[in-house]
Amino acid sequence: MLAKLRQRDYQILIAFIIVAAILAFWRPHVLISGLQRGSLYVLIALPVGIIYGILGILNLAHGEFMMLGAFFAFSLVTLTGIDPLIAMLPAFPAMFVVGIVTYRLTIKHVVRAPLNQFLLTFGLAVMLAEMANLIWTTRPRIVWVPYAASSATIGPITFGTFEFVYVAAAAIVLVGMFLFLTRTRAGLAAMAVGQNPRGAKLVGIDVERTYMMIFSACLAVLGPIGALFLIRHAIFPEVGGPFSLRAVSIVAMAGFGNLPGILVWGIGLGLAEAFVRSFRGWGGWADIIFFGMIILVVFYRSYQRRVR
Amino acid sequence: MRNWRYIVYIVVISLAISFPFYAGVHPIHVATTILSLLALALSWDILLRGGQLSLGVSAFFGIGSYTTVLTHLNWEVSPLLSIVLGGLAAGVVALVIGLAVLRLRGLYFAIVTLALTFIFIVIVRNLTDLTGGAIGKLIPSVIFGGDPAMIYWLTLAIAVATIITSEIFQKTRIHFALTSIRNNEIAAKSSGIDIFKYLLFAFVVTAVIQGVVGGVHAQRFAFVSPEESFSLTFTILPLAMCLLGGSFSTLGSVIGAGGLGVLAEYLRLMMPRGHLAIYGLVMVMAILLMPKGIVGTIREQLVRRKTASS
Amino acid sequence: MSVLRIENLTRRFGGLVALSGVNLELRENEILGLIGPNGAGKTTLLNVISGIYLPNSGRIIFDGKDVTESPAHIRCRLGIGRTFQIIQPNQNLNVLENVMVGSLFGQGAGLKEARRKAQEICQFLGLSRIERDITRLTVLEIKKMEMAHALATQPKVLLLDEIMTGLNIDEAREVIELVRKIRDQGMTICVIEHMMRIIKELTDRVLVLDRGEVIAEGLYEEVSNDPRVISAYLGEEE
Repeated sequence: MLAKLRQRDYQILIAFIIVAAILAFWRPHVLISGLQRGSLYVLIALPVGIIYGILGILNLAHGEFMMLGAFFAFSLVTLTGIDPLIAMLPAFPAMFVVGIVTYRLTIKHVVRAPLNQFLLTFGLAVMLAEMANLIWTTRPRIVWVPYAASSATIGPITFGTFEFVYVAAAAIVLVGMFLFLTRTRAGLAAMAVGQNPRGAKLVGIDVERTYMMIFSACLAVLGPIGALFLIRHAIFPEVGGPFSLRAVSIVAMAGFGNLPGILVWGIGLGLAEAFVRSFRGWGGWADIIFFGMIILVVFYRSYQRRVR
Repeated sequence: MRNWRYIVYIVVISLAISFPFYAGVHPIHVATTILSLLALALSWDILLRGGQLSLGVSAFFGIGSYTTVLTHLNWEVSPLLSIVLGGLAAGVVALVIGLAVLRLRGLYFAIVTLALTFIFIVIVRNLTDLTGGAIGKLIPSVIFGGDPAMIYWLTLAIAVATIITSEIFQKTRIHFALTSIRNNEIAAKSSGIDIFKYLLFAFVVTAVIQGVVGGVHAQRFAFVSPEESFSLTFTILPLAMCLLGGSFSTLGSVIGAGGLGVLAEYLRLMMPRGHLAIYGLVMVMAILLMPKGIVGTIREQLVRRKTASS
Repeated sequence: MSVLRIENLTRRFGGLVALSGVNLELRENEILGLIGPNGAGKTTLLNVISGIYLPNSGRIIFDGKDVTESPAHIRCRLGIGRTFQIIQPNQNLNVLENVMVGSLFGQGAGLKEARRKAQEICQFLGLSRIERDITRLTVLEIKKMEMAHALATQPKVLLLDEIMTGLNIDEAREVIELVRKIRDQGMTICVIEHMMRIIKELTDRVLVLDRGEVIAEGLYEEVSNDPRVISAYLGEEE
């Protein structure tokens, strides 16, 4: 699952770097905002990829869980008046508990039955968004903190600096996850479970527990991510949907089970969207870029001579 | 036993046809809605029989709606013909998408069909000149002059056509192909089944049905808008109906649509917002507690009783 | 006269070479045994022949036609029939219907004709209780159904992947007789089998695979005395 970048990923990576270099001269703000946006996608898609790799479940409700984390932070901020950055701390265990409950009640019963699970997480996504709708209504909510609007100016371009927090967070999550999966006993056990659950059971790994911990941990990181998201974005029950869709699309584009690919495709998608947005009057079309990308990828993959 | 069955059919069909003669306007309206949801649920199930999870019902529904309204407005096509065109447009989109993604199937297919709804919302919003953008378009007059009985009969005809299609799919070689594909694609290939061909066919046929239902819906309410016509309700509600009633059978969707349809009507009045949560819950509960649905579970019990007694 | 010829076939999975430069010839109306230790590439070879996998290089010539690039369902219709090692019968269909799938799509029969042919084949294989729910079949019945399913596609070449596994001696003997009967109808057969007794009794010729390579070919008696074959099975290091 963590196998080094495949050759194809390298080619894509190189293509992206070339594109990025061109952008850096031509439309530098695209490069910056694309990187920031792409990091957010990576942040949300990476846990989806891990859950898929280990539990074999493609979680379509991931964006909705992030929405939940964001609303949790929002409630905390409005009730206690603390800074949203501090709300990140309790959001982590809170979402961990949500993960355990969700796993126990639902996911546990459908592990390794791909279509049923996908349908199940679709049902969960609908439930979460609609329940948020009942509790918080569709009214967009914002918190205002002075540092969120901070910006920097280099030469002719001005850009938001706060969003670099997404880039940093993506890097932290990526490195943390990599270290966890390759350097810790629990992580190695989880990888073993992902590759061969029955074999893992035979060598004494508690597969059930691993599933639960991985699923819950992947939801837990959505707590802080939700809080970070809240700082810069208005939140409402349906805010998670587009992220869910992009996350599963990025996982599919990378090829299911290819984690490094998620990084490449996530950033790539962010850049492509920022590029389209940079044309006045065309911004609305940015939302279909991911679809165009996934169709192209799928088309390419289905019509190449499939030796694999 | 056989004769009984036919008597039941005849009674049900004549009751359904004569419904507008003894029911008030509101029940007719509710029944029309339930019948169109039934057609959506059943058409979704038909593709599921081949192991393909389409989450794009509302996409084809919306494409049908928009095509119907736009051809009617711009080319002055008659309402009925515009509904047919709505179905065809949905079928063409399914064909193109299917050619691209049905070779990979599985999760790719589910993701792409789900994305389709959002994509068309974006497209419709941005092609303001053609589609009226976020506001949508109005048709000056409702189909059949707004006669609820006529609209009911039209919807009934579509629902019955869907039931017949479903039964054709169940009784011919298509059934053998789809159920084999669902069971094991590799074994299916090795039995000589052209998986791609059968799935593409099923995908296009079901998309046409969904497009036609969308077309009727648009003509009935004389109105299209991105949020209304591509509403996820038209994916979630049929899925919940089918899963509750029981997938892989005609009767399952019919029963699920009947039961949940009546409930949905009450819910809509009782809780104006957030009622989709209930359908999400129904879906999740059905998958977890009753994966075979009402019909499948009852059937299983009957078989068990029969084998126990013999 | 060869029905199926495989030339220099190589198939890799990532870094693992599952088949390397395999040559094979199936002569008309023979029973060829495909043997080798676990992981030798036997099932992979059947999968490449039946079109489940495409080879990385090499050619497959069936009945004078190059089918190297043909998809699996086309090969089935041309006349390559097979059974699977891990059988996953379609539980939504009963026994007869499972067999019907073969004739419906393998030879494009209509429903009625397919039903008649399926009944014939079931009778030929001694498969009774054909309206039965398949969850209640014995192992022997499942194996027979799998064979019936493959036969219903009217193959010229029949590939049998470990059909005797899980059967007792009497049952295995019955299946051996059936395979002979099928051959007598003019079919060419290739079997993968672990039990050497069965191979000895059933096959005309054997081909030994080890680590993706053909290490011996010929009569059972010759091959079983070949030092390379013995060392492959005993896992001796040279």
